[in-house]
Amino acid sequence: MPDGPLIVQSDKTLLLEVDHPRAEEARRAIAPFAELERAPEHIHTYRVTPLGLWNARAAGHDAEQVVNALITFSRYAVPHALLVDVADTMDRYGRLTLEKDPEHGLVLRTTDRPVLEEVLRHKKIKPLIGERIDADRVIVHPSERGHLKQELLKVGWPAEDEAGYVDGEAHAIDLDNKDWSLRPYQQQAVDGFWHGGSGVVVLPCGAGKTLVGAGAMAVAKATTLILVTNTVSARQWRDELLKRTSLTDEEIGEYSGARKEIRPVTIATYQVLTTRRKGVYTHLDLLDARDWGLIIYDEVHLLPAPIFRMTADLQARRRLGLTATLVREDGREADVFSLIGPKRYDAPWKDIEAQGYIAPADCVEVRVTLPDADRLAYAVAEPEDRYRLSSCSPVKNPVVERIVAQHKGEPTLVIGQYLDQLAELSERLNADVITGETPVAQRQKLFQAFRVGEISLLVVSKVANFSIDLPEASVAIQVSGTFGSRQEEAQRLGRVLRPKGDGRTAHFYTVVSRDTVDAEFAAHRQRFLAEQGYAYRIVDADDVDATA
Amino acid sequence: MADDVRQRTDDELAALLRRRQDLARPAPADLSSLAARASTRASVQRAVDSLDLAHLQVLEAAVAATSPLDTTAVGTLLGVTPSEIEALLDDLWTLALLWGSPEGLRVTRTVVEVLPHPAGLGPRAADTFVDIPPTDTIPALLADAPAAARAILDRLTWGPPLAVLPPGTPERLATGARWLLEHHLVFSPSADQLVLPREVALALREGRSHAAPALQPPGLEGQTRAAAEVDAAAGQQVTDLLALVDELAAEWGLRPPRVLRSGGLAVRDLKRLASVLDVDEARAAFVAELTYAAGLLADDGSLDPSWAPTPAYDEWQQHPGDQRWAVLARAWLLTTRAPHLVGTTPAGASGTVNALGPDAHWPPARGLRRDVLDQLAAAPVGLAPDRARVGTALGWHRPRRVPASLDTVVAAVLGEAEWLGVTGRGAISSAGRALLAGRSDAELAAAMQPHLPEPIEHVLLQADLTAIAPGPLAGGLATFMRLVADVESRGGATVYRFNQDSVRRCLDAGWSVDQVLGALTDASHTPVPQPLDYLIRDVARRHGQARVGAMRAYIRCDDEATLGAMIADRELSPLQLRNIAPTILVSPVAAETVLDFLRENGFAPAAETPDGGIIVPTAGQHRTPLQRRPAPITAQAVDDELVTTMVGALRAGEEAAAYQREEVASRPGPSLPSTDPTTTLAVLRDAAADRQSVWLGYSDADGRVLRILFYPERVEGGRVHGTADGAARTLSIHRVTGAVQG
Repeated sequence: MPDGPLIVQSDKTLLLEVDHPRAEEARRAIAPFAELERAPEHIHTYRVTPLGLWNARAAGHDAEQVVNALITFSRYAVPHALLVDVADTMDRYGRLTLEKDPEHGLVLRTTDRPVLEEVLRHKKIKPLIGERIDADRVIVHPSERGHLKQELLKVGWPAEDEAGYVDGEAHAIDLDNKDWSLRPYQQQAVDGFWHGGSGVVVLPCGAGKTLVGAGAMAVAKATTLILVTNTVSARQWRDELLKRTSLTDEEIGEYSGARKEIRPVTIATYQVLTTRRKGVYTHLDLLDARDWGLIIYDEVHLLPAPIFRMTADLQARRRLGLTATLVREDGREADVFSLIGPKRYDAPWKDIEAQGYIAPADCVEVRVTLPDADRLAYAVAEPEDRYRLSSCSPVKNPVVERIVAQHKGEPTLVIGQYLDQLAELSERLNADVITGETPVAQRQKLFQAFRVGEISLLVVSKVANFSIDLPEASVAIQVSGTFGSRQEEAQRLGRVLRPKGDGRTAHFYTVVSRDTVDAEFAAHRQRFLAEQGYAYRIVDADDVDATA
Repeated sequence: MADDVRQRTDDELAALLRRRQDLARPAPADLSSLAARASTRASVQRAVDSLDLAHLQVLEAAVAATSPLDTTAVGTLLGVTPSEIEALLDDLWTLALLWGSPEGLRVTRTVVEVLPHPAGLGPRAADTFVDIPPTDTIPALLADAPAAARAILDRLTWGPPLAVLPPGTPERLATGARWLLEHHLVFSPSADQLVLPREVALALREGRSHAAPALQPPGLEGQTRAAAEVDAAAGQQVTDLLALVDELAAEWGLRPPRVLRSGGLAVRDLKRLASVLDVDEARAAFVAELTYAAGLLADDGSLDPSWAPTPAYDEWQQHPGDQRWAVLARAWLLTTRAPHLVGTTPAGASGTVNALGPDAHWPPARGLRRDVLDQLAAAPVGLAPDRARVGTALGWHRPRRVPASLDTVVAAVLGEAEWLGVTGRGAISSAGRALLAGRSDAELAAAMQPHLPEPIEHVLLQADLTAIAPGPLAGGLATFMRLVADVESRGGATVYRFNQDSVRRCLDAGWSVDQVLGALTDASHTPVPQPLDYLIRDVARRHGQARVGAMRAYIRCDDEATLGAMIADRELSPLQLRNIAPTILVSPVAAETVLDFLRENGFAPAAETPDGGIIVPTAGQHRTPLQRRPAPITAQAVDDELVTTMVGALRAGEEAAAYQREEVASRPGPSLPSTDPTTTLAVLRDAAADRQSVWLGYSDADGRVLRILFYPERVEGGRVHGTADGAARTLSIHRVTGAVQG
């Protein structure tokens, strides 16, 4: 019996024993086609999904390589059905190709006529397709390029998009490499994306996704539209671009609720694009305002549904998606695949952490016991109120105070969901609070003060979840969250994962009420952390002093 | 034929009895009776049905040829040289389907009855006394035949030789048929039938009896797999299967599903099993049926019966994997249950077949399974034959016994063999060969053992509350892990997940928190991760905090001293009072008894309703709830209106009766009393003997009693034959109501 590091399960998960001498070799072999699901201490779990296999196909791997990797590294016999399934699934990719024909424009070509016949008869695909040219080709209207890809993926025959891209309006952009350079993995990500044409780069928070975007712009050397989650994040992109590239202030425009500038490089928020007046998206013109050569989607996993629909019409432009995780709480991973593109680069968090680019973290869950009166109130509360009731319990406040006191002087963030709770905490802790209602100018002032060390404690609501650069935050205390959102957990952890100047350990505390839904949701989020390889501890509130 | 049998040597007789085993039971008295039995229709039918296609075709050619047999002629019919069929003919003689007369081999007469249309040929023209044109002129005749006639002949040539032309046949075809009849190429045994005589058919077939003689068995084709690969795949399947059986037993041990009233497992329970095992329903049905066939699972036979693992399962579970496999494999080989039928709807039935139910019992399954496996075993080592090829080969070996569902059965057997590790990647495994060769259990286990992963005795505990067993766990540890954690993923390794429910389940089963942590520490090389330790202690903290029990009475009293006195009182000891709180005692004795006992011993208790109110005693004044009585039925008085109506009715009745009397009086013959059948028979017999007439009352098909003047001729078999009104009639005696000599 061969003694490989990999165990292939019948449910298409792959278990990788990390302490095995050949584990790294095996990891490299399976990474192209399997998604890392969990990475706790001993055994990492990968999952083989059709999307993963098609990602691998898009990256130029074939079924034989996949099967070989499985057989070579597997400890036990690989279930035959799984091998057959892998070969079958991978074989489905590329039977249909979208390509440019000099005579007819965009055409869908097949190498397997029955497949073409099958999809042409599909009632959702029929309306997207034009005239039949010959047995192997049909005309596709360029405006249906995205929808067609979406539908084809749904019926299990993903099309390879080789129709190419418009170059867009050229614009000189260079990286300003005087005192820094792209890290090796960032360079690989840029190369991977450019080579593939369009697609998604998966990097952990704090691993420098903005720089990958800048790198991509420098390669494209064309006008660029950058879509980000909110205004603060837009400003941050702007600052970063000014610092890292040859772009000047006049070349970068902001298109948000406050300002509507259209410049060679325009940064727009999802929110402004999805604003509707009388059922009409009023700012759709932005997408056609210039001949964009590159569109960058920040935080792809948060991309709202209307943006997907708009993206379907932008298939001729190069698209770069940036994200920390492909997991979407709404399960629309397939749309990301078909509309933005396959995954072009992916690095497990732990690997990047091991390379020293993100700070190691110490995750602690602190459990508080509700006083009897609150337990009674909780027991009789309506189910929809229970989370609020348990997560906002005042019994958490002294605990938070104790933790803050413990880390006195270290830059600390207290993160919560409910404004009353945050207001109360800010009062008790004598700290400023930033919520969605805080004016942008005020926010930036506070962030700047926090950044330079004038203040070391901020209480923030979920506005802080995304894309604010708080480089010196080394302690995060979360008191309440959006139920059990794993994605939010990743974002919040990202707050403290930026590399620290002195290599300190980051601390991530979660304060939860025992025996309530708060603890249940926390368990959800923690599972995510443990799966990402962060060991966490659970301590009782009374033992908090012992955690320092 | 009897002479032939008598002249056979002992070895030849032994061969005959071995190959036609029905002849030996019961043992025939002598060789003549053996010969007689060998030519009975039932026995011949059986022998012919068990022939393979080569023997069958030679036998058919022999039936079609002239008697006595000329080997060359038979060979010509099949288009082969005589030497190719000699061995086959010899075999047919051994089977006594042919017999040797002084002139040469002849076909046993019963065979001709069993094969009425050998190779689709019609009767000989000579036997049916019809004229046919000389066979050498037929081609010339056909040159002039109309197209319709040719079309009819084309359909009849390779059989079946019978055509039906119902009324309303298109004119063109009718003309063709007429032309054929006129030219004596077919004959017509009845108005709408056409039969092609054997001689004409043979002429049309150019002297051949079979379009496609198949004297050699078809070979199996498919992909060839390396033997090591086959055995490894089989081992992997067995690992899976054993885990599935264990999981089924664990699930049904805790939550046994109900046995349906008709026997079997409800569709819903099968679905649940499939989802618990994380396999499709077909495989879940297979695992359940296999476990049942191996006696590891049974109906518990209680009043409200359910399916549960048997004690044999516990014993089985203690054995190493290879031995456990041997038990399952042998049970599968011998079972007459057909898991593939589960979920199908049998012809003529309304519902689907339930797993473990009576409809999934299908006796031919065992024979067919064996046949399919024999085909695989006969194939070269490592060959994974195509499913269609296996079906074809099976058809060749049993051409007359192919079930309609052959393809389904072959697919099912091959699928099950794969699940069971009898085959690996489609080719028979070395352990599978041992199974088919009928080796002992120990040898079977030894054949499977090298291909099963070594059982391991440790798990890897991780901070995300999973435990991973990187191989099959040894028995005790596997049971513990399944108890304390849920199985999340299965295969070479098993992934277990701990959660509150699973830990609580373990504590419910009587484990203490220290035992659980101890067992986990022992099973893991690394320390128990802090979150897991915390989870277990956290669940244990709350486990058993609240306790639930049933009692039949309670005593509550604000004065603890009174309750203390009750517990101390010896007279009250039969009440088995127990203190569950300072002010509450409970007793397993009914509340009235407790009240009586307390009163007898000087206490003054009051009874309480379930919602805490006081029951006011109503001693000595029992009342029953009001009972509803039916209101008495009173008759209406007879009034004038009723009287008038009634008188009118009476008059009409009287008139009708008078009319009837008149009609009876006007009938010919005597009045007919009702006579019992014996008398009727005697009267009829006498009348038949004396050639005299009788008057009969006869109840016809509509239930009317007719009067018949009947002239009986003979009485037999419960009927009487004779004439009535000048026409011959046969009457059933039991319909005769009475008979009187006329």
